Amino acid sequence: MAIELGRSPIAAPRRHVSAWSRVYGLGSVYAKTLRDSRLAFLIMAGLLGGIMLVAGAAIGTAYATATSRADLVNLATTAAGSMPGVTGKAVNVGTLGGYVTWKYGPLFVIAAALWSILALSGTLATEASKGSLEFVAVAPFGKRRLALEKLAAHLTVLTAVLAILALASWVAGAVFGSVPGDAVPPQAAIGYALWVGLIALASGSVAFALSPSLGRAGAAGIAGFILFAGYLLNNLQVTEPALTGPAYLSWFYWTAGHLPLAGEYDWVSLVPVAVVAVVLFVVGLEAFVRRDIGASSSIRTPRLPRAILGLHGPIGRAFGERFSISLAWGIGLGFFGFGIAAISRSLADSFHTMSPASVKIFHDIFPLFDISTAGGFLQVVFVQLGFIVVGFAAATLVSGWASDETSGRLEMLLATPLARASWAVSGGLGVYLAIVLMTIVFAAGVGIGALMAGSDAVTPMAGSVTLGLYAAAVAGVGIAIGGLFRTSIAAEMAAVAVTVTFLIDMIAPPLRLPDWVHQLALTAHFGQPMVGIWDASGVVACLVIAFGGLALGGWGMRRRDVAR
Amino acid sequence: MVAIIETEKLTKSYGSHRGIVDVDLVVEQGEVFGFLGPNGAGKTTTIRVLLDLIRPTSGKASVFGIETTVDPVSIHRRIGYLPGEFTLYDRLTGGETLEYFGNLRGGVDTAYQASLIERFDLDPSRKFKEYSKGNKQKVGLVAALQHKPELLVLDEPTAGLDPLVQQTFFAVLREAVDEGRTVFLSSHVLSEAEKACDRVGIIRDGRLVKVDRVDALRDLAAHQVELRFTGPVPAAEFEALPGVSNVTAEDHVLRMHVTGPISPVVKAAARFDLADFVSREPSLEETFLAEYGHDAVEVANHGN
Repeated sequence: MAIELGRSPIAAPRRHVSAWSRVYGLGSVYAKTLRDSRLAFLIMAGLLGGIMLVAGAAIGTAYATATSRADLVNLATTAAGSMPGVTGKAVNVGTLGGYVTWKYGPLFVIAAALWSILALSGTLATEASKGSLEFVAVAPFGKRRLALEKLAAHLTVLTAVLAILALASWVAGAVFGSVPGDAVPPQAAIGYALWVGLIALASGSVAFALSPSLGRAGAAGIAGFILFAGYLLNNLQVTEPALTGPAYLSWFYWTAGHLPLAGEYDWVSLVPVAVVAVVLFVVGLEAFVRRDIGASSSIRTPRLPRAILGLHGPIGRAFGERFSISLAWGIGLGFFGFGIAAISRSLADSFHTMSPASVKIFHDIFPLFDISTAGGFLQVVFVQLGFIVVGFAAATLVSGWASDETSGRLEMLLATPLARASWAVSGGLGVYLAIVLMTIVFAAGVGIGALMAGSDAVTPMAGSVTLGLYAAAVAGVGIAIGGLFRTSIAAEMAAVAVTVTFLIDMIAPPLRLPDWVHQLALTAHFGQPMVGIWDASGVVACLVIAFGGLALGGWGMRRRDVAR
Repeated sequence: MVAIIETEKLTKSYGSHRGIVDVDLVVEQGEVFGFLGPNGAGKTTTIRVLLDLIRPTSGKASVFGIETTVDPVSIHRRIGYLPGEFTLYDRLTGGETLEYFGNLRGGVDTAYQASLIERFDLDPSRKFKEYSKGNKQKVGLVAALQHKPELLVLDEPTAGLDPLVQQTFFAVLREAVDEGRTVFLSSHVLSEAEKACDRVGIIRDGRLVKVDRVDALRDLAAHQVELRFTGPVPAAEFEALPGVSNVTAEDHVLRMHVTGPISPVVKAAARFDLADFVSREPSLEETFLAEYGHDAVEVANHGN
C-alpha cells in the first residue's frame, strides 16, 4: 500500500467548550475538580459557618448581661490559669469573639485542616490508584498543569468556605451580640478566616507534597500527625518547658498571638505559614511531575498474623479488615487520653497554690467530683471531644463494612452459602470487635496517664467504656441505614448522627431549649463516667441502638437488592 | 433431562429503566449454556436474579428446583460464581483469599485447589491489589471452581486472560462438564461461545430472542457454496432449486447461498462436469449477524 507522507490523519472535529464549563463543569480539570467538590463545600461551609452561628447564638443568649459575662470571664480565666496547657490563652473572653476563640477556636481550624489534608492527599493519589489519572494524564497538556488545576480548584473551594466562615463570624457578632464588644468587625472576621485557611493549607500542603511518593494513606497519616502534634506541642509547652523547642516547629506556635476574634492581631506571623504552604506545594508539584504515575512507595507495615486475618469466617474477616484502622484510632486516642490524664497532675499541683476563692469556683462548678484527679480532669477536658472523635472513628469503621458492597466484593461473598442477613450481622459484629479493640487501647492510654499522675486509674479506664459504647451506637446507626437503604451512605449518616448529637448537646443548654431536645443527644445520658458516676440509661440506649441497628441492618439486607 | 435453571416470565426493571422482560429459560444438567448478547442487553441482570442478588419485579426463577427468592443459600451452596466485575480483599494474598472463600464453603479439596492454581499459573503469594487484571481474574476463577460446584455461573469469564490461560480455562470447563456439572456462561464473544457451548440463548434489549443448539443456530445461516465447472456455467439450473439465493456466475465459477439441506445443489451439480465444489459452513458469528443484524451484537473476536 502506498503511503502519502507529510499529511496528518484527519482529526476529529473539535467541539466548542464554553467559558463557563471551563470554570465549572466538565470543560477542564479545574472545572471538574470544582464540580466534584460540591458536597465537600456544602459540608464544610455548613459545619464551620453553622457552628460559628450556633456558638454565637448560644453565648449571646446564655450570657446576655454584663453580670453573666463577668462570671464567664471569671470561670474562663480561672480555668485557663489552672489548665494553661489545655485550654489555651483566655483573651477577651468576655466578648463573643473572644469566648468563641477560646472555647471553639481549635475546632474550626482542625476541621478545616483535616479536610484539606484529605482533599490534597487524595486529589492525585486516589485517581492514580483508580487508574482514572492515566486517562487524564494523556490529555494534551502536561502533568504540571494537571496538578496545578487540581490544586487551584481546592484553593477555590477553601476560599469559598472561608468566606462563609468570615461572614458567619460577622453575622454572629451583629445578630447575637448582647453586650458591648460582641460585634465582630470585618477585619477580625477576615483575619480569623485567613488564619484558619492558612493553617489548613499548610497542613494540606504536607499531604500534597508527600502523596506522590507515599500514596494517599501514608501522606494523610503523616500530615495528620504533624497537625495534631503541632497543636498539642503548642498547648503543652506552656506547662512543660522541655517541649518549647519542638513547639517552635509548630505553625500553631508561630501564630499563637493572632487572635482576631478576640481583638488581637499578628498579621506578620501568618507569613511563614503561607511560605511553608507555597514551598510544599511546589515540592508536591515537582514530585508529581517527576515520578511515574501511580508509582508510590507505600509505607511498609508488618503483615498481620494469620490468626488476626480472620480467614475462618465472616466475623473474623470483618474484624481482620478493620484491625489496623481500629488499632490506629485506639493508639491516637490513647495518646491523647494519656496526655490529658498525665497533665491532670499539674492542675492538682496548682490547686495547692490557688486562692481559696478560685478553688471554690471549681468546686461550685463541679460539685460532684474532684477535677484535680485524672478522672475528673478527663471528664471536663476530654470526654466531649472524645465522643466526637470516637464517633467519627466508628463512621470510618462503618465505611469499611460498607465497602464490601460498594466495592463489588459482596457479590462474590453472597454467592457462597452466606445469607444476606448473616453478612450484615457478622460484618457488624466485626465492626463492634474493632470498637472493643479501639476502646481497650484507649483505656490503656488513659490508665497509664492516670498512674503517672498518681491518680486512680481504674475509674477513668472503666469510664472509657462509655466512649466505646457510644461508638458502637453510632456504628449501629450506620449499619441500620446501610442495611435498610444502601451502604454507600452508611458512613455519612453515622457521621451526621455524631455531628447532630454534638450540636444538640452543645446548644440545647445555653439556648435553654426544651429538655426533651437536649435528651435527644445520646451524649447527654452518660453521667460523668470518668469519675465513676454512671447513667444506666445511656448505657442501655447505646446497647439497644447498637444491637437494634444490627438487627435492622440484617433485616433490611434481606429485603433489598444488592447494589453494584 | 433435569432442569438446573428454569425461569418463567422473569422480569426485572429498575424504575423506568429496562432490565429484563419475560425471560423464559431452561438450562439442563450437564450442558454448557452460553448466554449471549450485546453490552447492556440484560445478561448480568439475569444472572444476578438467578443468584438472588436482586429480586425479580415479576415472574420467577428456580435453580436446582429451588425458587431463588425462597432459599438462596441452598442454591449458593451448590454453585460457583464469577462476576463480570469484582474486587476482593486488597491486603490478602491470592492464596489467603482462596482459603477464605474455601472456608466460607466449609472447606475445599486443597489438592484440587492447588492443581487449579498451578494450571492457571497463579502466584498465590502476592497481595490481591498487586495482581494484574488477568491474575485477578484467575483468582476469581479458582474461587468459583475450587469447591467443584454442581453449577458454574460465569459472567464474561475469559476477560483479561491471555490465550494460553483461556485454553486452560476451556479445558477445565470441559472437565467439569464431563463430570456432570452444568455451566451457565455469559459472554459477548461469539467465537468463545461457539467453542465452549452446547446451547446458546441470545438476549437483546432485555428479551430472550433465541435459544437453540449451537449447530442448529449455525444452520440458520446460508452456506456459501462455490462450484467450479469445466464448461459453461448452468446458472438457471440452480436458481430454481429450493433454498438457493444470490446466484452469481463468473467465468466457469458459480457462487450461491444455500439455506437448509444442501443435497439438491449437490445432485444438480453432479449432472454437469464439475471441477471443484466448495461449501463453507458459517460461523456462529456470521449466523448471529445474519439473523439479528450487525447492530445486535458487539463482536469481539479476541484474535480468533
